[in-house]
Amino acid sequence: MSVTVILNGRLTVLDCAPATMLLDALRDGEGLTSVRATCGIGVCGACTVLLDGEPVTSCLTMAGQAEGRAITTLEGLGGSDPVQRAFAAEHAFQCGWCTPGFVLTVKRLLEENPDPGEEEIAEALGGNLCRCGSYVNIAAAVRRAAKELRA
Amino acid sequence: MSGLDPRVTGEQAYAVDVTRPRMLHAAFVRSPYAHARVTGVDASALPPDCVALLPEDVAGLGRYGCQARDQRVLTDVARHAGDIVAAVAAPTRRAAQSAARRVSVDYRELPAVFDAVAAVAPGAPLLHADTAESAKEEVSIGVRPLPGTNVCHRFRLVSGDAARAMAEADVVVSEAFRTPSAAHVPMEPHAAVAEWDDGRLTLWTGTQTPFNMRADLAGLFAMAPEDIRIVVPMMGGSFGAKTFVRTEAVLAALARKAGRPVKAVLDRTEEFLTLNRHPATMRVRLGATRDGTLVAKELDCWVDTGAYADCGPGVATKLGYAGVGPYRIPHVRVDSLAIYTNLPPNGAYRGYGAMQSIFASERTMDVLAARLGMSPLELRRRNLLRDGDRFATGEVMHDVHFEECLQAAADAVGYEDDPRGKGLCVLLKGMQTPSRAQVSVERTPVGFVVRSASTEMGQGVKRSIQLMAAQLLGCEPGQVVIPDPDTAVTPFDTRTTSSRSTHMMGRALEVAVADLGDGDHGFGEVVEEGGLDPDTGQGIASSHWHQGAAGAHVSVDEETGKLTVEHLHGVAYAGKVVNRPGAALQNDGSMLMGLGTALFEAIEFGDGQVANANLSDYNVPAPGDVPARFTHEIIEREGAEVHGLGETVLPPVPAAIGNALASLGLDVRELPFTAERVLGAVDAR
Repeated sequence: MSVTVILNGRLTVLDCAPATMLLDALRDGEGLTSVRATCGIGVCGACTVLLDGEPVTSCLTMAGQAEGRAITTLEGLGGSDPVQRAFAAEHAFQCGWCTPGFVLTVKRLLEENPDPGEEEIAEALGGNLCRCGSYVNIAAAVRRAAKELRA
Repeated sequence: MSGLDPRVTGEQAYAVDVTRPRMLHAAFVRSPYAHARVTGVDASALPPDCVALLPEDVAGLGRYGCQARDQRVLTDVARHAGDIVAAVAAPTRRAAQSAARRVSVDYRELPAVFDAVAAVAPGAPLLHADTAESAKEEVSIGVRPLPGTNVCHRFRLVSGDAARAMAEADVVVSEAFRTPSAAHVPMEPHAAVAEWDDGRLTLWTGTQTPFNMRADLAGLFAMAPEDIRIVVPMMGGSFGAKTFVRTEAVLAALARKAGRPVKAVLDRTEEFLTLNRHPATMRVRLGATRDGTLVAKELDCWVDTGAYADCGPGVATKLGYAGVGPYRIPHVRVDSLAIYTNLPPNGAYRGYGAMQSIFASERTMDVLAARLGMSPLELRRRNLLRDGDRFATGEVMHDVHFEECLQAAADAVGYEDDPRGKGLCVLLKGMQTPSRAQVSVERTPVGFVVRSASTEMGQGVKRSIQLMAAQLLGCEPGQVVIPDPDTAVTPFDTRTTSSRSTHMMGRALEVAVADLGDGDHGFGEVVEEGGLDPDTGQGIASSHWHQGAAGAHVSVDEETGKLTVEHLHGVAYAGKVVNRPGAALQNDGSMLMGLGTALFEAIEFGDGQVANANLSDYNVPAPGDVPARFTHEIIEREGAEVHGLGETVLPPVPAAIGNALASLGLDVRELPFTAERVLGAVDAR
């Protein structure tokens, strides 16, 4: 059994049953270790991937739901996306475990809303947890990335 | 490659990412009962490709435990719901979990106790027939169990004659407080891989205590420490959760039986069964003269260490002396008990007991101020320790900045303009003492390799060491490479706890760089002697002091009980800052963890079962929980030495918020400040 997707821009056959969780298919099957099992119930956002551009928690998404669709993990951003550069410049992380989920969520936020206010940032990031408590710097990174993308 | 930090590109690897050839995956068989004797374990239904670790496999092994040797690899008596009674290895994690469910265990239930005060009452069920102190010098604190009881350690501090002074005091307040258990919630769960090769054990594991772990496992397996190698990848957060031996003992035994490497990654529910924060009940008596001079303090603490001691004796000790507070008090008596109950084990948690007793102690200061008709700020100022004063442990204080910290917190929230809805807290806490740090520096053609066993969990210790080394060596930070700790090649360090690493490693580096000279290798060591006498509390609690304060401004909806923190301000004395962005992040993180502790974090138990063992029912602060004004400051002084600040502004947050509530006449004695408790205080006012 397999599932065919466009994974980080490449046509990819995921060698798994459709009922396999997307998290397991990506992490164990494809070696994409930025996708991180954490809460297992879709509340912390550390396993976030973009499905046709929308953030989803891959721990609650079955691989079959991604059939024929585009999946982007942090690896797919190429390493120097403006959002990534903004997170680095603002020191918007401590242990870094949650960072992939935040970066992908912010990526989508700024496509929808190029100039979010503080409350909009907090609301958009409400499904992502950082136990190190780096939220002040994360919000600064969102503002910096927004400014750069608008320029 | 972009050159960005691997945490931003997703390339950062953690223990959870370690794989080895032919590796199997572990799952644990856990007791559903809080207290039960295991009468039979049957693994005959397991598939042939699974390996089970059963009681008979570990019968020859001894006991382990960092401060009291009270744990077995597989327990014959389950002492908490979730205690591990067998383990399974299988080709996949899912297969292992499925196999673990097919292991049949018979139990005979025993009476259980879930509260530390009840556990020291006559007739309470006893958890451990005997407790043996651990022998390892790096961890041992001189444990004082009370035989025939559930007390695994009693810490006492006696300075002057508190009973007599209390009787003679003009004003005495006597108050009681409780703090609940809480979860660390590191985003990365506990993860480890164990592998044996020709009688030697290698563990890749996320731990703050590689050398303590090596010593404990060497005792357990009767091996030379050098035959055990602990490699520590970056941790995805820890906050005290990944200290001492957690799953590593059972994992090593399982891997030895399997004859193959085995990996264990806990699921989120298991995290709540592995190590939590000590619940505490505290009674504070504080006596003063009519003009607000403190004359006597008595502090009695019941500290719930759960089913196994772990570092509970150390936590009860620090909780005990930190609860004295940064004050000149001529007569002090502290009695702090670490007590076994049938809850999951409790251990190190950012602040190491300080939050609990500082909450009780600093709330009591405001109660006394109200009784005296004095400003809480003025009462504190009048009694704060200053340079040259003697603390209750007998230590003469130096480099003292409590008053500046307190004043900064008061100024930030406008306390002297209008104290209504505002609260303050000032604290003293210590660093792990005795303490020993070693570091080596090796010159390479392109830079330097610095080997330090300081483990990285997001607190930024590698960056701090890199910056300090670059400055000492006169090179660019990028020329300093710091490999992950590996006990096979990295020199000794006591452990990465108690905000000690930058303070200790910075000085060890100075020695190492001087030793390097023009050569290729340099070695440095710093040793801090000390420790407290557990029977008198006299000695050296800390080689340097963590000093801080917090100010809070709150508002309360008295219809709903909803408490809103309008402004939270933390102050930490740093002496000298090494890594400014890192220091700011540590303060933000400490304050936010303190905010969660104050407002909503509590593990709920029902008959010893964790009722909220997931991140939907156990909430941690989310982006929307950051107060509208969330500020901090770091105090530095020209020529001062580096003071640790990884935890300093967590402990004062609940007390500052509690005092802000008290300023509105809302007296809440138990954390967290839920709407129900606040409403109860509104009704009681």
